[in-house]
Amino acid sequence: MIICRCEEVTYKQLTETAEKYKCASRELKLRTRAGMGYCGGRTCRTMVDNIAHSFNGNERDCAQLTLKYQPPIRPISFGDLGDVKK
Amino acid sequence: MSKVIIIGAGPAGLSAAITIAENGLEVLVLDEYMIAGGRLLGQLYEEPNGNWWNGIKESKQLYEKALDLGVKIQLHTAVSNLEKIDSSWVIYTATETYYTSHLLLATGATEAPLPIPGWTLPGVMSVGAAQVMTNVHRVKPGNRGVIIGVNVLSSAIAMELQLAGVQVACITLPKMSLVTKESGNPMNVMNSLLHVSHMAPSAFVKFGSKLMKIEFMKKMGITFFPKNGVKMWDIPIMLRKAVIEIYGDNEVEGVTMATISPTGEVIPGTEEKVQADFVCIAGGLYPLAELAAVAGCPFYHIEELGGYVPLHNERMETALEGLYVAGNITGIEGAKVAASQGVAAGLSIVHNNGTSNQEQNIKKAIQDIEHTRDNAFIQFHPAVKEGKQKLQHYWEEHLNTVKDMVGN
Repeated sequence: MIICRCEEVTYKQLTETAEKYKCASRELKLRTRAGMGYCGGRTCRTMVDNIAHSFNGNERDCAQLTLKYQPPIRPISFGDLGDVKK
Repeated sequence: MSKVIIIGAGPAGLSAAITIAENGLEVLVLDEYMIAGGRLLGQLYEEPNGNWWNGIKESKQLYEKALDLGVKIQLHTAVSNLEKIDSSWVIYTATETYYTSHLLLATGATEAPLPIPGWTLPGVMSVGAAQVMTNVHRVKPGNRGVIIGVNVLSSAIAMELQLAGVQVACITLPKMSLVTKESGNPMNVMNSLLHVSHMAPSAFVKFGSKLMKIEFMKKMGITFFPKNGVKMWDIPIMLRKAVIEIYGDNEVEGVTMATISPTGEVIPGTEEKVQADFVCIAGGLYPLAELAAVAGCPFYHIEELGGYVPLHNERMETALEGLYVAGNITGIEGAKVAASQGVAAGLSIVHNNGTSNQEQNIKKAIQDIEHTRDNAFIQFHPAVKEGKQKLQHYWEEHLNTVKDMVGN
């Protein structure tokens, strides 16, 4: 079962990695690439967070424990980003 | 530079824009969608007094009122980044950069996914997508669908689909996994549904709701919950069956369902196939707070509010100067609460800008939010008020920390 569509990371890969390393969601992301695709993790981030929290036993309290949000938070073309005049 | 900027043209953003414009300030509203209204657009339901709440009509009224007051509304404009440079907020879109000293984030909510084997097939969509297709774009998502995830949002949308002549085969649970722990557990779901028993039109939600408040009765209730579900608006709601797979060669052809135990374990040998040409996934809503996160707002996870919410006070001010929030970004609630929060945020901006003293009006607006919340027809979480209290507590803690730092 696919969890991260962009990087084609499966539920099995994520749970096995999370179980082995008992890591925070950020580390889980870096180890599997889940959430690092072109959608910027907009589809799978809650699932990656949930899987990590199920194994690392951390209280979900502060923002530090979840995946970060990085700009650009919406897709933007290279042309627009580089301010290329048409 | 004197212009106030609002991100999000839903009930919160538009109500704030109207309030601010009425007080003589210039306002620009940005929204990534092509129609103003946000999630309000999809809503269509009958209220207990017999009136129909038509989201498209409500959105149009707000939109036109804002335009009449001179509010500039720019649709189809996604904000990709946000930062503070000196004392102004800098807002980046694909082609333009905007500056303001008062920025309101009214970005609303988004849907959480529930992964199920086969959920990447064409024809699988979020329940909100089916709602927008049907109510806003007037396109049927299919002829016969299965909705996975039993909650307030999915049952409301099931009814809307049915009104549009789309058959809903059933509303059922997802197979339990680490990601669907809550939405796949029959006891949990039963518990959360009992709190919506006041939204009366369905026999299902009325179904012995008083008795069910007793723990033992709940267990009995879920154990004896009919395997084929209880019908609501003629749609079977199943709490003792779960979808274990969505199947189809190149697109959705149906789902495989199985009977589950009261704690959500699949009972082997009970698998059956249900034909459908589309599947809706209803994982519930959570605050869409990406921009608040990029801006550097502190966050707290408050279950009752639907997830991580940016720290803010009753006046809708965040911990960052000149940054305000209103609507579902502050917790999942109905459109009327969002609108009343928009008014409060708008007044705070007018006041803080030094345009006019709004102290009395802000107090009244805060009371209005409470009042609207108490009278809300749909409650997404039964303990929203407790969630708000937790947040208030975190805010006071924050103020004390700031004081300590200044004191040292």
